[in-house]
Formats: sequence, C-alpha cells, structure tokens
Amino acid sequence: MAAQVELFLQTLISGFLLGGLYALIGLGMALIMGVMRIINLAHGDLMMVAMYVAYWLFTLFHIDPYLSVFVATPLLFFLGVGLQKFLINPVMKVESILPHNQVILTVGIGMILANLATVFFTSNYRSTPVSYASKAWYLTDFWKNAPIELSLSAPWSLSFLAAVIITVALWFFLTKTDTGKSIRATAQDIDAALLMGVNVGVMRAVTFGIGAALVGGAGCLFIPIYYLYPSLGKQFTNVGFVITVLGGMGSTEGAIIGGVILGIFESMTATYLGMGWAPVGRFLIFVAALVFLPGGVASILRKQRLGK
Amino acid sequence: MKKFMPPIILAVLCFLPLVGLSSYAMHILVLVIMWSIIGMGWNLLGGYCGQVSFGHAAFFGMGAYSSGLLYYHFGISGWWGLLVSIPVLTITSLVIGFICLRLRGAYFALATLALGEVLRVTAENLVKFTQGDLGILIKQRTWVEKTWYFYVILLLAAGSFLLVKKVMESKLGYYFVAIREDQDAANSLGINTTLYKTIALCLSGVLTGMAGAFYMNYMGYIDPTTVFPLYDISIVTVMVVMVGGVATYWGPVIGALIMVFLAEVIRSMPKIGAAHQTLFGILLIFIIIFLPNGIVGDFRKITGLFKPRGALK
Amino acid sequence: MKKMSVIFAVSFLAAFFAGSLFAQEVKFAIPLPLTGTNAKFGEIEKRSYEIAMEEINAKGGVKGKKIVLVFEDSQGKPEVARSIAEKLIDVKKQPVIFGEYSSSCSKAIAAVAEERKTPYLVVTGATDDITQQNYKYVFRLNPTNAYYASGLISFFKEVVKPMSIAILYESSDFGTSGAEDMVKQAEKFPMKVLTKEQYEKGAVDFKPILSKVKSEKPDVIYMVSYVMDASLLMRQIKELRIDAKLYAGGAAGFAIPEFIQSAKEAAEYVVTATLWSPQVVYPGAKEFAEKYKKLYQDYPSYHGAEAYSALYIIKDVLTRAKSWTPDGIRVAMKGTNMVTAFGPIRFEDKAGYTNQNFMDTLVLQVINGQFETIWPQKYATKKYVYPIPRWRDRK
Repeated sequence: MAAQVELFLQTLISGFLLGGLYALIGLGMALIMGVMRIINLAHGDLMMVAMYVAYWLFTLFHIDPYLSVFVATPLLFFLGVGLQKFLINPVMKVESILPHNQVILTVGIGMILANLATVFFTSNYRSTPVSYASKAWYLTDFWKNAPIELSLSAPWSLSFLAAVIITVALWFFLTKTDTGKSIRATAQDIDAALLMGVNVGVMRAVTFGIGAALVGGAGCLFIPIYYLYPSLGKQFTNVGFVITVLGGMGSTEGAIIGGVILGIFESMTATYLGMGWAPVGRFLIFVAALVFLPGGVASILRKQRLGK
Repeated sequence: MKKFMPPIILAVLCFLPLVGLSSYAMHILVLVIMWSIIGMGWNLLGGYCGQVSFGHAAFFGMGAYSSGLLYYHFGISGWWGLLVSIPVLTITSLVIGFICLRLRGAYFALATLALGEVLRVTAENLVKFTQGDLGILIKQRTWVEKTWYFYVILLLAAGSFLLVKKVMESKLGYYFVAIREDQDAANSLGINTTLYKTIALCLSGVLTGMAGAFYMNYMGYIDPTTVFPLYDISIVTVMVVMVGGVATYWGPVIGALIMVFLAEVIRSMPKIGAAHQTLFGILLIFIIIFLPNGIVGDFRKITGLFKPRGALK
Repeated sequence: MKKMSVIFAVSFLAAFFAGSLFAQEVKFAIPLPLTGTNAKFGEIEKRSYEIAMEEINAKGGVKGKKIVLVFEDSQGKPEVARSIAEKLIDVKKQPVIFGEYSSSCSKAIAAVAEERKTPYLVVTGATDDITQQNYKYVFRLNPTNAYYASGLISFFKEVVKPMSIAILYESSDFGTSGAEDMVKQAEKFPMKVLTKEQYEKGAVDFKPILSKVKSEKPDVIYMVSYVMDASLLMRQIKELRIDAKLYAGGAAGFAIPEFIQSAKEAAEYVVTATLWSPQVVYPGAKEFAEKYKKLYQDYPSYHGAEAYSALYIIKDVLTRAKSWTPDGIRVAMKGTNMVTAFGPIRFEDKAGYTNQNFMDTLVLQVINGQFETIWPQKYATKKYVYPIPRWRDRK
C-alpha cells in the first residue's frame, strides 16, 4: 500500500515539474498562434538555438545555464523580431489561396537553423554538467521514519521555479503595460485592435520576438536537465502544439494550466499504462481538447469570469 | 494546346523506360511520381476544398501497412494492398473526418497532425500485430528492374490526375471551392458542407493510401518511423503542393519534382557535405516569398520576368 | 588576347582532367547519416574511415592505387539510402558498397545490393534479419543484436547471479530487438522479467517509469538506449535512489564518451555491453584509438572501430580479388580471414545467418569516471567492482 502511494505521489511530483517546463514552451507558441494565426514549425529549433547559447556560455565562460537566461532571451527576442520582419511578414502580406503557405517558411527556417548548427557545432551530443545535476532532496532527510520515500530533484525544481518567475513576469507585461495590452487586443480581435489605433504590424513583430524569447528561456532551463544536439527541436515543437490547443490560442493562463495538465497526464500514462504509450496519451488528450473544448482551458476561464 | 498536354506528357513518360535510363534515374523518377500522387491527394482536400491537413502520413502509413500486413499475416502478395487499401482508407478517412472535420482552419490542421502521430505510436506499440519497430520486410520484391514499378505508379498517377480533373470539373468541384472560399456562405446556400468535406477527405485519403501501398511493394521494407513520420511525410506533402502550386492540376507534379529531384541534386552536389539542407531551405524560402501561390500558381509572374517591360502593362 | 586566354584555359582544363583520369586512384562513396538524429554516429564513422584511408594511402594504397573516399548524406531515410545505393551501382559502377549506420537504411541498401548482385558490407546495422534472408551478396562485420549482450550474460551468470531483471528500451528496431533478446536469455537463466517497458526516443522525464521499477525492486536494470537517453536514465535513477544490484546498458548510448561526461557521478559503476573498446588486444586497436583521440579529443566508440576496420577489410578484399568486378569481390570477401583492429573477421553461414561475422563481445564498467574493460577476464584492464555501493552510501 505504502509503495502504491509512493508511486502515485512521485509520479504526481514529476508530472507537475515537467508540466511547468512544458508550459513555458507552450506559452510562446500560444502567443504567436493567437496573435498571428500562424503555425510556427520552427519553434523547437529556436529553442535549440538558445540551448547552444547557454551551452557555449557554460563551456567557454563557465556561466551557469540559469544565468544565461538573461543573455539568451534578449538574443532570441531580436532573432524572432528579425525573422518576423524580414521573412514572415512579407509572406503574410501577399494574397494567396491558402494562408498556410507560411508553414513552408517556418519549416525552411527550422531546417536551416538545425542544419547550420550541425555544420558549425557538429552533431555531438552536448550537455552542461553542472555540479548540482543529480542533487536531490529526500523526504527521509527531513522526516527520519517516513513510511515512504519521495525525492525532489534540485535542477528540476530550479527550472520549474524559473519557469514560474518568467511566466509571472510575462503575465505582468501582458496585463499591466500598454504594449502588453495591445498584444492581447490583437490576439482577441485584429480588426477591432486596428480600429482602436493599435499598430498591428509592430505588435506582430514584438509578439514573435516574445514567443522566441520565451522558448529561448525554456531552452536555458532545459539544458541542465536534458542534453543538446542540432535536430532536437521537432519534439518540442510538438509539445508546444499540444499545450497551445489544450490551453487556447493566445491565452497565457490557459497555456500554464494546459502545460501542467499535459505534464501530469503524460506522467500518469507512463506509470500506469506504459511509457511507450505516453505519446499516444499526449495526442489523444490533444484531439479530445480540440473536439470537446475548442478554445481550450481559456474558454472555461472566460466563461467563469463572465458568470461573475 | 493546353488540352493535349496531359496525354502528350503521359505518352512521353510511357516511352521513357525504353530509352535505357539508368536504374538510379528510374528510382528518382518513381519517387517523383509517387510524391505527385500524394500531392494530388492532398491538393484535393487542402488546395480545392481548403481543409489543410498536417497528417497525411496517417493515410500513407495506413496504406503501406495494409499492404505490409496482408503480406506478413496471410503471406499473399503485397500488391493486393493496392486494392485493400481502398476500403481501409475509406474507413480511416471516415473516422478521421468524424473527429476532425468539425474543426476549422489551424485547428483542423493540428488535429490531423495529432492523429498522424497517434497512428505512428500505436503502430510502434502493437508489436504483436505490426511487428512494431522491427518493421515488415518483404523477402523477395516482385521485380528487379524498375520498368514495371514505373508503369504501375504511372498508371496510378494518370488515374489520380484524371480523377482530380473529373471531380473538379463536376458539380462536386464547385462545392469544394465554395467551401474553401467561405464555408458559412456555402452552408447558407444549402451546400451540405460536412458531406462534401468528408467526400474530399475520403478521396484524398484513398489516393495517398494507394501511394503508401505502392511504397511498401517498391521499397520492400517499412517500419512506423518510415511511413508515419510527421516531418518526412506529412509536412513534405504540404510542401510538395504549396511549392508546386495550390489548387492547380500540375502543381503537385512540379512540387514533387522540386522536393525529390532537386533535393537529390542539391544533396549530391560535391563539397558541401551536410550543408545541403541549408541550401535547400533557402531555396524553399525564396520560392514562397516570391511565388506565394507556388510555381504553377504564380507561373505568370515567372514568365512576366522574361517579357519586355512594356508588355507587362 | 581573349582567344589566347580561352585556349590557355581549355588546355589547362584538359591537362587537369587528363591528370585525374590517369592518376592511379580508386574512388568509393560511402552512405552515412550526416544530418538528422543519427548524425553523431555518422560523424564518428566518417572520421574513422578517413583515418583508415590516410593510413592505407600512406602505405601505398591498394595495389598501388590511392583510395579516395566521398561521403553521401542519407539523412537516415531509407529511400534516400536506396537512392545512393542505386546511384553507386548504376552510375558510378562501384563494384562494392559499404557503410550506412542504422538498421533500416542498411536493410534498404541490402535489398538493392542483392537484387543487383553487388556485394554490400554492413558495418553497423545490428538487427538480426539483415543476414537472415539468405542474401548471397550481403556481408556483415558487426555481430548481430542477438549477440550484443553475450558478454554481459556471461558476466551475469558468473558474478552477479541475478534473480530478476527490469528492461527499459527505446522504441526503435535496435532497442526492440535488444530487449526481446534479453527476455529470451532471461527465460533460459532463469531470471524473472519484472517489467519490459518501451519509451519514445528523446523522452525528457523517466521518473514515472523509474518509480514503477523502484517499487518492483529488480536485481538488475537493463537499458537499451541509442543515445543520450542513457545519461538521463542514470541521472534520474540516482536521483530516485533506486538500489539495484547492477545497472546494465546494452551498448550504443551507454558506450559513448558523452555518457560519462553528461551523467558524471551517476555513471559510476554502470556496466555496459560493447563490441569493442580501446583496450582490446587486437593489433592496431590502441593505435587507432589514440590517433582518433589526438585528432578529435575523445576516444571513439565501437562504431568508429567498425568503420575503421571496414576499410581495411575492403583493402584486403581488393588485394585478394581476382578481378574488381562485383562477383570477383564477392568471392574474395567470402574468403576473408583476417584480424582487424575491431577483431577477427570471418564471414560464416551458421545458426540461420549468412555471411555473418561472429565474435566475443565485451563488458565495460565505468570506474573512476573511465570506461574499463572488465569482462571477459582475459581482456580485463581492471577488476570489476561488484557489489556496487548503494546510492546513499556514495559521496
């Protein structure tokens, strides 16, 4: 019995921590999708770029990956703004039969980023072996005769904490500043925003920049607990999609809740159904959300608010 | 003149194996034609009907596996898969349609993307039924020479081309375009949008699935990661059509030429090593910035470049 | 003036081409994954081929001809690998093909090679069925997946004597067949298989599944991972303090230097099956490893030794072949009996395999942050550490 409780609690803890990190990846994508209505298939590759930044800062200057967040996020912000301004915007402006042709653009960008990383940095697997990489806190350290043993990983908790801080900062930016409010207005209704005098073009560039910066931050938080190679982006792009749909496009609260739901759901499938099925679980919850909850968690939140 | 283009091209292609092309060239040709079929299938749903799918690997893989499993479980020739894939894919499309078609735009795209991935992981996990990651290997492929493979896939391609053309010239085609242009308006005009979208999806799925069944017989080996991949099949399919030209008859063919033939040429350029993907990526970005409707779709733009200035206005 | 320069250019070009035409060289193109997920292994092999090429050329090449290697990127996609094979056979008229990394690409090439009656030397593809098809033209120098763990099994039998095992493997043909084989071995043992779980390559969090393993208390945890999943698994095992008697890896991800670099102290005492290590006694093995380390800072994994030796086998075959035609080379290859840096090579038909090389596999253990060969004892560079300390007793 105690063993079963331990198993359940440990799964819950790791699912929760994983979810927090996933949320950060999803946040950027939710914003970009909400404001620009484009599917960004280069999202994970942007994360890869940030991870290389963190890696080189660590290897060359011994800068802790958590500190490199302060370098990588601004860098990625400008990269994102640049990509939006010079590549994506021109394509979005022209009339075409299907608006989805920007997808080719993001695929192309992702392809080039991953390939350039291979050419310049080789395809070696990299990691930042920080001294606290496998440090953890244990329940028995605090409570000698505990019937169960639980553990909490130090770098995972740190990454989670940093993710929460970044998310809160973003939330303040979006709700309290003028730029943030304009971005949210653009996400909700482009035409209305235009009428209210919001410079939609600039907002789009800024949004793409913020989206890139967020996933860049996620990259820095991932590298101490994960590893790095040039073509790792794709799997994280997928995670981003799932969260965006779970949470709702353009919604920050939704993305956070969506991330945590996904993390816990994935961990639970892994424990109780088998880890091979975890991706099936991920995508089934995704389809279920699309069908039964189009609009994501955000739509529930909105309903509640209106109810008051 | 335009009317005679398809039969002329078909005739030229029919005689192509007789001129003694190397088996390498034939392989590339077979792949190009196979991808044009997938492209035509996608175009029917995405290009004409406006339902952009990011999950055509689901259909391709189902086709490949219906052929492979027939061979593996019943020991009969994988070519029966070409026939069997038709009902299998119709059912698959109906199921996928039931789940996804109520969604619109980006949501539809994402839902199909997810279903493609679900099928891949399911195939990986049902080890007893599909052999999982060990894959299915055909011990002896039917022919050593490529000639017959070429004619089979050419026949399929000609059939698909005809089908797409006939459908688009019929009433069905008008409904499809109406749905793409404005679904609500189509609805209010009394067009049963769900029905027509389902028809487009089924046709699209069957065409793609038959290409998948052919792939099994041609390559002789499949596993879930080679026939259900998101990027190598689903996204490449979207690119084939978009680069070639959305909602055009020849777009998928041109797109397949670029995505297979040109990619191969760039890949085998000497001295660039792994950097060939950067080059190809830049090419794609250029195409889409300057020709947002694809090469066939914006063909006038290209010819316009070569005309004297005065002729433009 | 203009005419002059044209004439000059033409004659220069003519001289250049004539020069390369009549130079005594033999050119081989090698398919390898240089981009994509498996690019790391493609790179190790590419470097190793190049080292072998330089050595052979420095000693006068093959029958006085210089070897020139070019590499073709298969991107890890079977249909691209097949394109390359078709091109080599058909356009380049290359009489023998060797290379490629993953099993699925090797299978694609093997089928073409057999149909076109061109010998193909499989260098790293490990799934059993490649050499179980009765292919006459397909040879394989690496042992198959079923034999990867043979050294490890004998270590289990004689030292660890485990009663139960938990198997975790990645969802790929390599992982699946490695796990299936371990299950078969465990039945013979007998050893109880408590869990056999598959995971998606590149997973981030293994803690749920590891917690489950922990609650089952297996004697041995056996993991088959292609890449860095190996280091994540060990890091998270350490974090959860799962105390098994032994942590064992099934080659690949556990046997590359990055494993120790990334897992650090969590890698300590982990044992892994491997096909080769720099400490083996075969002639040239140590020299190759040192040369590789000097050039690229790290010791090569067994993939490097396989590639390095493959070129030596090709050289040996070409020297013995009566004619450099596919059939001449096939006959010569069948008669191969040599010792390479990778080990003794003979292509045998037995136990359902055709043209398959069989050899002993080794067991490595991480001791003081270094890979040491510990089993079979005749190759051991250090005595194994067993029993291993519990996590909470380690520093």
